[in-house]
Amino acid sequence: MGVYKKIKAYVPDMEGLLLLVLLLVIGSSAFLIAEYRRIYLFLEIILQAQGLEYLTLLIAMLALCALAYTITSFLATLVSHFIAFRLEANLKKAGMDALLEAPFSFFDKYPSGKIRKMLDDNTALTHTSVAHLLPDLAGVLFIPLFGLILAARVDWRLCIFMLVTIIVGALIGKEMMGESSFMAEYMQAQEEMGAHAVEYVRNMGVVKIFDANVKSLKNFYDSISNYSDKVLRYSLSCRVPYVSFQTFFNSIFLLLIPLGFYFIAKGEDPILYLSKAVFYVLFCGIIFMAFMKVMYFGMHSYLASSSIEKIESLIQEMQADKMQHGDLVCGENVDIDFDYVSFSYGNHQVFDDLSLHLEGTKTYALVGSSGGGKSTLAKLIAGFYLPQEGEIRIGGRALADYSEHALTNMIAMVFQNAQLFKTSIYENVRIGNPEASYEEVMEALHLARCEDILDKFPEREKTVIGAKGIHLSGGERQRIAIARAILKNAPIIVLDEASAAADPENEYEIQQAFSHLMQGKTVIMIAHRLSSIWQADEILVIEEGKIQERGSHQALMEKNGRYAYLQGLYAQANEWRIGA
Amino acid sequence: MKKLQKTFALTDKGARGMLIASVASFCVNIMYMLAMMAFFYFAQDILDDGHLGHLSVYLLASAVIVLLMYLALDWQYRSTYNATYMEARDLRLSIADTLKGLPLGYFAKHDLSDLAQTLMQDVLDMEHAFSHAIPQAIGAGVFLCMMMALILASNVWIGLAMLVPIALSLGIIFFSKRYQKACVRRFYDQSRDNIEIIQDAIEMQQEIHSYNLVEEKRSQVHRAIRTAEKMHMSAELGQGIPVTTALSLVKLAITTTILAISWLLLRGELSPLLGVGYLIAVSRMTDSVEAVGLNIAELFYIDVRVDRIKELKNTSIQKGKAVRLNTYDIEVEGLHFSYGENCVLHDVNFTAKQGEVTALVGPSGSGKTTMIRLLSRLYDYDQGSITIGGQLLKDISPDSLYGQISMVFQDVTLFNGTVMENIRIGRKDASDEEVREAARKAHCEEFILNLPEGYQSLIGENGSKLSGGERQRLSIARAFLKNAPILLLDEISASLDVENEKAIQESLNELVKNKTVVIISHRMKSIENVHKIVVFEEGRINAVGTHSELMASSDLYRRLVHKSALTAGYVY
Repeated sequence: MGVYKKIKAYVPDMEGLLLLVLLLVIGSSAFLIAEYRRIYLFLEIILQAQGLEYLTLLIAMLALCALAYTITSFLATLVSHFIAFRLEANLKKAGMDALLEAPFSFFDKYPSGKIRKMLDDNTALTHTSVAHLLPDLAGVLFIPLFGLILAARVDWRLCIFMLVTIIVGALIGKEMMGESSFMAEYMQAQEEMGAHAVEYVRNMGVVKIFDANVKSLKNFYDSISNYSDKVLRYSLSCRVPYVSFQTFFNSIFLLLIPLGFYFIAKGEDPILYLSKAVFYVLFCGIIFMAFMKVMYFGMHSYLASSSIEKIESLIQEMQADKMQHGDLVCGENVDIDFDYVSFSYGNHQVFDDLSLHLEGTKTYALVGSSGGGKSTLAKLIAGFYLPQEGEIRIGGRALADYSEHALTNMIAMVFQNAQLFKTSIYENVRIGNPEASYEEVMEALHLARCEDILDKFPEREKTVIGAKGIHLSGGERQRIAIARAILKNAPIIVLDEASAAADPENEYEIQQAFSHLMQGKTVIMIAHRLSSIWQADEILVIEEGKIQERGSHQALMEKNGRYAYLQGLYAQANEWRIGA
Repeated sequence: MKKLQKTFALTDKGARGMLIASVASFCVNIMYMLAMMAFFYFAQDILDDGHLGHLSVYLLASAVIVLLMYLALDWQYRSTYNATYMEARDLRLSIADTLKGLPLGYFAKHDLSDLAQTLMQDVLDMEHAFSHAIPQAIGAGVFLCMMMALILASNVWIGLAMLVPIALSLGIIFFSKRYQKACVRRFYDQSRDNIEIIQDAIEMQQEIHSYNLVEEKRSQVHRAIRTAEKMHMSAELGQGIPVTTALSLVKLAITTTILAISWLLLRGELSPLLGVGYLIAVSRMTDSVEAVGLNIAELFYIDVRVDRIKELKNTSIQKGKAVRLNTYDIEVEGLHFSYGENCVLHDVNFTAKQGEVTALVGPSGSGKTTMIRLLSRLYDYDQGSITIGGQLLKDISPDSLYGQISMVFQDVTLFNGTVMENIRIGRKDASDEEVREAARKAHCEEFILNLPEGYQSLIGENGSKLSGGERQRLSIARAFLKNAPILLLDEISASLDVENEKAIQESLNELVKNKTVVIISHRMKSIENVHKIVVFEEGRINAVGTHSELMASSDLYRRLVHKSALTAGYVY
């Protein structure tokens, strides 16, 4: 019962309730069997037409047992649902807690929607499974057990006959479950199909314009067929055992007829025999239901434990590669040093033994082909990733020496797809520095050239992001995010200048906002518009994880190397005309 | 049968299959009853005079019944399970096709994951319901009604004793259904809010960390989860629990029947033999009801899903005739379009001539992108007209229209497959050599050959193993392969490195030759030489003309050009 242990670990405050469910389940099973005991007595009385005077009392008892059974099993269901929901909530909390603390590299691995779905789906699975797992224990274990005890009290032969029924049933039932590996295979086929479906819907524009139907998207079509085939094959493999199982349980009592001939010939009282036989027929239904529940039980306990495991391994992944934090509050200066830093994403090595020194309060522009390592370098400085080897230092101290708070306060980042919180514009900016006065917030908005955004809405800075009818373009969001970064007033600024170009109609305003943000700071800028960086203190050309060239614009142009080549190309691209 | 098909949104084949499965399920129930009858005769032998009949007759009858039962069950199995899995496959394929027929506006209104959910999970749940619940419920239901009628006819009191608890439980289930729906809806809304809160926490993790908001966010998330837990519990109280309660009421039918039997026995109105018979009958019937009951919650549960699939199937798909186009001038006249209440285009008029490049420019939100979407019929316009080669766009079927149109989107979407497959989407029947030719024209071949397996390399989910520029170049290769006479371009604005940008520019100039081209441009300089520029301002046309004409006539155009120059010349 490893499942129960796993469950218990996540609902530590509910041990009492778990015990209660167990008691309720035992109670309800006992009441049901007590009811059947009365039914047997009833049969004896009416068939032998003896002791009819007890009939009223017997029936009253029978009704009471039936009622008690109904109530206890209802309560068991109720309480186990309660536990199941708490379990779901606690698992989700554990997952979200880990998620909020997860290192950035985790988010590179999965798209955001997928992370949420993995959390949601698996926690939801645990609740359905657990809500059924506990009450089903009655049908699976206690009712058959108590039933056998009752049968033994009535007649030992009846008990043996029932045992034989259960054993044969179990043997056929085992066949019916098919290959045990199927469940995992099935889930995988289903997941694959789901992934393709999401892709299909997401790419609908392309699907339509290029008239790609389901059949031509081979992978999608195959995943649907493959899933159906798998299920069908499984279903076919279960056919004979399933049909035999059903036939067995619905006709086994016919054996009582020849057995009756035998025992009655040997002198058994026919009426008494009949009472026991009828009792068996009635009870057989219960055993049958128990078997059906065993099957659901197997499925549910598999689902429950596999989904808890999935969440646990997800949490483990979230906790891997986590940055260590010391308690240093600030360094001597804001110089940045890389000492023999090696870093790879999975198998893909980006840097091998990279060393560099960046002086505080200067502006650095990173230039080079995409995939060369510019953004990885920027992200390493910001502490997004842990280098596998070497050390990154700010102000002469390793990143890990700083407290988390100190580190985040030291660096402000502006990357693509700036995100805003769903509160007012004012609050969104104030997050940059919760102690800032109203005037300081408004000044930051002003410096980030956000006035025209405020002018668009009657509520101005109190406008709530994401409210009905409030639409902001990517560039407008970007400017508000810049205002936030300005207010944060961090000594190191890491920014991806391409984020300005993502919304060309707003680019000029964003450029100006960037200028304000950069004033007097140490700036690491991933440059896109090569024409805009010639005043940078230093330009680093990064190709294939190496610093290929380094120097001022002028020096590099005179050198006539890679940088000069890129500048030339840029000038050409800028002069390009379509159709000419 | 038509009704059945409609209620459960089935395909024709599926509806027929389900009917057969129901009949099979009914036969199975009859076989179960036959076995009981045989046993009942045995009881009669004993109770009548204690003299047993011929053993051989019983053995023979039992053997026949077991055989028939096996055959009936086998038939039921094949007709439910096997048929269903085939049905589910067809249903998925048909929903996928339906989706493709819908205007893109439908997708904008619906959550992407919701739709994918419908396509897969909803069908999955329905599959489960079809294979287990529905045919069994129908078969057993018909059987139960017949039995009930028979018993009522033979003894009203016994009949009532059985009927009342069963009817009561079914009554509770059906009456609570309406309440359940409300519960489920409430819960659904709450979980939707929760999903948003959680999704936010994931998407904004960078901001959350950068601004030390972890603790705040954590308590917000915990609160949301806690609320959801409470909602969930109360939804379950309204939904699952009435069903469970109702089902345990069914068990009470045995008690009430025994009550009725004893009462009649004591009054001498019933023989013990019949008493036993009724008792067996009621236990058989409650077993059936319970078996159905295991699935009855599921039956209700799929309601919402069936509704979703129905909604999808009932959304009008884009229609039109197959049309042969000979010329490819595009004319836009008096065009109006709104997203919901939000009017985006008013009274737009312009033409885009065959063999010419027409550029759409304007501030953000002025309607350029919407215009392209309408031209491509990804959305259908409200008023006015768009004609291509003199034919109304609305009259051209999507199939024949998309035979003539190519489009390069700003946000490229790729499939998780090989490079070859992704380019071949441009033209399904293209040979490998033609695909390579297109890749060469789009300046892709160099980077493709650098991939570990060349054209057969897998590119990851949405091309995640490629850079932005490479993805864009693949999408241009697609357009080369298709080589349609009309080309719609949403100019790649930025964030490409300069080498990629240069390569793309060169391919584009090759691609636009001799076509009707409509391009949205963000960089004013790049369109100075085009034949016609259409300037959009707040959903209206501000001016139309060549670069030099517009420099003279349009203030807005001059402003755009000026700002573009400022941006390009900016120095930090």
